[in-house]
Amino acid sequence: MKDRIWKSVGLLIILTMLFAGLAACGPTPEPEVVVQTVVVEKEVEGETITVIETVEVEVTTQVEKEVVVTATPAPTSKVITFAWTQEPDYLNPYYTNMWFSTVLHQLYSCWAWEYDDENAAFPKLITEMPTMGNGGLSEDGTVITLNLRDDLVWSDGTPLTADDFVFTYEMIVNPANTVASVYPYDMLDSVEATDPQTVVMTFAEPFASWQANFWRGILPKHVMQPIFDAEGTIDEADSSLLGVGCGPYVVDTWESGSYIRLVKSPNYWLGEPKIEEIFFQFVPDDASQTASMIAGTADVGTFPPLSDVPTLEAGGLEIMVQSSGYAEGIFFNFGFGGSPAAADVNVRQAVAMAIDRDAINEDLLLGLTSAPETLWDPLEGGFWVSPEIEPWQYDPEAAKALLEDAGWIDTDDDGIREKDGERLSMVYGTTIREIRQDAQAVIQQMLRDVGIEVQIPSWDADLFFASYADGSPCALGEVDMMEWSDSTLFPDPDHYYWNCSELPNDESPWGANYFGCDEELDALFVEQLSIIDPEERAAVFHEITKIIHDKVYWLGMWDDPDYWIVSPRLTGVKFSGVSPLYNIMEWDVTE
Amino acid sequence: MTRYVIRRLLQAIPLLFFISLLLFVLMRTASNPLVTMGGKRVPRPEDRERLARQLGLDKPLYVQYVYWLIGNDWAKIDMDGDGVAETPGDQKGVLRGEFGNSLVIRGKPAWTVIKERIPRTLLLMIPAEIIILIFSLVIGIFSALKQYTVTDHVITGISFVGYSMPIFFIALLSIQLFAIKFKEWGLPALPPNQMFDPQVGKTPSQIALHMVLPLLSLTFVSIAGYSRYVRSQMLETMSQDYIRTARAKGLPERMVLYVHALKNASLPLVTIVGLDIPLLLAGAVVTETIFAWQGMGFLFIDHVSRGDTPVIMAILMIVSVAVVVSQLLTDIVYAWLDPRIRYD
Amino acid sequence: MEATAEGVVASLSGELNTVALSLRQMIWRRFRRHRMAMAGAVMLILLVAYCFGGALFVSEDYANFTDTKQRLQPPSREHPFGTDTVGRDILARTIYGGQISMLIGLSAATIEVVVGVLVGALAGYYGGILDSLLMRFTEAMFTIPQLFLLLVMAKFFANKFPAIHILGRTLSGSVVVIVIIIGITSWMYLARIVRADFLSLKEREFIVAAHTVGTRNLAIIARHILPNTVAPIIVAATLGVANAILSEAYISFLGLGVQPPTATWGNMLDRAYNYVATAPWMWIFPGLLIVLVVLSINFLGDGLRDALDPTTVT
Repeated sequence: MKDRIWKSVGLLIILTMLFAGLAACGPTPEPEVVVQTVVVEKEVEGETITVIETVEVEVTTQVEKEVVVTATPAPTSKVITFAWTQEPDYLNPYYTNMWFSTVLHQLYSCWAWEYDDENAAFPKLITEMPTMGNGGLSEDGTVITLNLRDDLVWSDGTPLTADDFVFTYEMIVNPANTVASVYPYDMLDSVEATDPQTVVMTFAEPFASWQANFWRGILPKHVMQPIFDAEGTIDEADSSLLGVGCGPYVVDTWESGSYIRLVKSPNYWLGEPKIEEIFFQFVPDDASQTASMIAGTADVGTFPPLSDVPTLEAGGLEIMVQSSGYAEGIFFNFGFGGSPAAADVNVRQAVAMAIDRDAINEDLLLGLTSAPETLWDPLEGGFWVSPEIEPWQYDPEAAKALLEDAGWIDTDDDGIREKDGERLSMVYGTTIREIRQDAQAVIQQMLRDVGIEVQIPSWDADLFFASYADGSPCALGEVDMMEWSDSTLFPDPDHYYWNCSELPNDESPWGANYFGCDEELDALFVEQLSIIDPEERAAVFHEITKIIHDKVYWLGMWDDPDYWIVSPRLTGVKFSGVSPLYNIMEWDVTE
Repeated sequence: MTRYVIRRLLQAIPLLFFISLLLFVLMRTASNPLVTMGGKRVPRPEDRERLARQLGLDKPLYVQYVYWLIGNDWAKIDMDGDGVAETPGDQKGVLRGEFGNSLVIRGKPAWTVIKERIPRTLLLMIPAEIIILIFSLVIGIFSALKQYTVTDHVITGISFVGYSMPIFFIALLSIQLFAIKFKEWGLPALPPNQMFDPQVGKTPSQIALHMVLPLLSLTFVSIAGYSRYVRSQMLETMSQDYIRTARAKGLPERMVLYVHALKNASLPLVTIVGLDIPLLLAGAVVTETIFAWQGMGFLFIDHVSRGDTPVIMAILMIVSVAVVVSQLLTDIVYAWLDPRIRYD
Repeated sequence: MEATAEGVVASLSGELNTVALSLRQMIWRRFRRHRMAMAGAVMLILLVAYCFGGALFVSEDYANFTDTKQRLQPPSREHPFGTDTVGRDILARTIYGGQISMLIGLSAATIEVVVGVLVGALAGYYGGILDSLLMRFTEAMFTIPQLFLLLVMAKFFANKFPAIHILGRTLSGSVVVIVIIIGITSWMYLARIVRADFLSLKEREFIVAAHTVGTRNLAIIARHILPNTVAPIIVAATLGVANAILSEAYISFLGLGVQPPTATWGNMLDRAYNYVATAPWMWIFPGLLIVLVVLSINFLGDGLRDALDPTTVT
């Protein structure tokens, strides 16, 4: 009997502890919270300097541990560190399209031409961009001749010649190599080196978007050819690219799970960069990135969680936004086995008016972004976008009226409209990502307010985008509204998603058109690809963008640019949306 | 005994075979590695088709399983897509000691990918297991000796709470308290994640410091559970006849407790530790994810979402073998500790 | 002690109804005297009242109501538990999330019991090849750590089930997925217990007697043996509920759980890690509720074990 009593006493103590904990956590606001609210106030009123100071103190004390006993690079040494939230997968530029890998290409690899902060191309390995005027581009658009600089060398001193271009081409199209993509090299008939400085590319058909995706990295023939000869593939030759390259730096060490260290190339043909060494330090998550940025242990970071932006800016860091052609938006399944609701243009237009896209950008994305009207908005200042487009405005009343007129009426008073016995209900699916799922929940509510019901499932990206044969929900036409972030074949405006030939079926299970076939649109997409003249081509794109916008085949949610966090200790920093670190030679460190 | 071990090992063969088949089918049907190969955007249809062919992902499931099991160097693959298989395969298959190449990092053997991670996971698990054993014995015995005192009840209460906690909740609470609040209060705070501070380097003291919080999260639940178990075993043993006899013989109380009682009470713990291996491995998935400890669990989560069947299968098979072996070892150790038990 | 065990056998073979009553009373009395179990029961009743009674005061619409102007608000008078990343009230979500978590716990435990008892009973009763086949299968399932199996299966079944309508609510199909995968990955322990019980019981006199009078196998299993193994099944089922709630939390924490907007205590913790410092109210409240419910069920299970099996030492 006695033991029972004591047992209950023990239990009571524990319970009290628990509940005390609960109570303690409840009403007392957490200190960090105060900090955050304060930052917001600061932004609004632009005052209260003392408060800002508290913020900084809070923040530095918070991260001090990460700094700890750091052997922070001596002020004079020009070493910079990138906080990298994902570890790159390959050095070989043709084996990966992962953003966190490709950013490094401007450092140790080299592109035939690169892009500046306006996302405009400039020649790098070649003497000038091929045009019809200089004879680089043949009259019929099927032959491109590249004239290489004559001072190109690999970091080991071997000259970089047209043979390396040909070797690169051969490796990409060789079926023994599992490169990430053979596009656009599969458009070529041949690549030839007529002399060490001349590369001739021949196409079967004129190929308008040649500028966008060719020669993003050159493979060193003198290093890789022997491996290919021995093994029959360069799949396992990635590590041979350690220490060899044609950029201002070479990869010195890659400590898996930890960091990549790049040092100056001993033989860069454009001279010496100012920064001595570059570290890509792998950080496990956004929180550690924010911490190391504020602590100053990293100089450059990427894609801060939006909720950390005020903290970062308060810490004196600059957030640089660079359009990379990507935009988040909803693709509508208007004719690929979706619901009758999604096939009705009135419903799609009503959706466009019922979603308060400005509020989503303002609140969920902290006003750092805005809603694009078309997928072409981020390109060249809207050069390809029809000037006649009238942006969709948030107007729930107009949306309701439109639905009423179209015959979608709530007859059974359950808040959801019907037409011909069909509920105005759609599946609005997306991939698992926090901001996206948050937006889904908000949009679901906005649509219900005008009488549209949406189910909001989400999938892992690999299941969502799996093929028709693998039973992907999109490829089977089971999703009416699909949200993800995408771009054209940036920086080119070409796109293949809406081509009728891309509809997945038993014959072509890999098709990428999950949306439907619009004959008029299809014809325009086919037409533009063979128009070499940009002005003429833009005219076609104006028609394309107008159709996609007005028929609401795609509804933009927010721009999805590259975000960079940059330490004030760096100068000369610019980014491109295509070849991000294009001006690394100009970067410098001040103290 | 030898016969028993051999029989158990023979039984393990169909068992592992069945597990591999089940998991392979689940993995291959549940995920699609091609989609994530394109980086930010989905690869073009042409590239997906080509990569599927080159990597053998377009083959029927049973063929893929057979290739995985015994390799494909006796078969030919159609690499160039002309419908004629011409290139001999180069996989050796699991039965010949190769797990195949990773799909996420093509050309890198799955084993190479995992090899780097295993020591990191062991670095957490072995100390965790030792801590669990020592603490649950000490706390359990202490609690049994102080039966029905306030201390005993407090310990029992805490262990009940501990046993009911998800590991990640302990992890989040301990980060909040020891890493964040301590720093605010100006106390020496612990690092909340990663294996070492990159600026300091991979020194033993750094790693030890970074191990504290993950270990705390990994061991707390187990200690809570096992100390209760040790306590009840201890109490039961102490009421046994032979303990009474030992006391009657006039053996010193310490001797009675620590030699006779403890030995018999710790016996069942051996079984539990054996069963604990899978639990710890699973705990490692959560703990490694939260603390960004780049071990096998971290690798598993990363690669399972990208459909890297060879790597995932390799991890799961290694874990399964570890479980089978640890169960067998448990049986052997048990028989060795307790001569009354015979397996035949 | 022996007498009680005999009593169970006697009463359940349907001879002495009066004894059966007093047996039940005895169990109840033993349970009632078990303070921890009583505390667990009370706590559990309070939690159930919180989740189901709370639903009388806040509507589900409110729990799913997003207000982006109110995101990540710390606890206040208006939102006692604060708000989440899209400005939903966390208090309301813990109420509706709790319902789902408990529902998942109960249904998964039901599947666990059905599968476990079925496998254990068939293996134990029929023995032979069936036994070794079933036991090999059980062993195989045991060998793969449950969490790994859960993660792989969660991916396998992702979105394979349509949304369901129950009690006037629409639940995401992922609830069904979670229930099923937890159920079919947790029955192995119970199957072993049931099999062991069946093995020993089928040799007992009253079963042999039943055989001789020509009772069919199924009837023997259902009417004679099963009732005698009910104690460990009840205990295992109780603890199974707690484990299922924990499992749901683990899968959700790793991002493969029940999909929003349906809240569960587990998926409310989903992105908690990103807010470990900046918005601790997002994870502390659902986390504490999980601990409380699991704790009280464990207390309850412990008490039941002691009450039903008089031979255990505590």
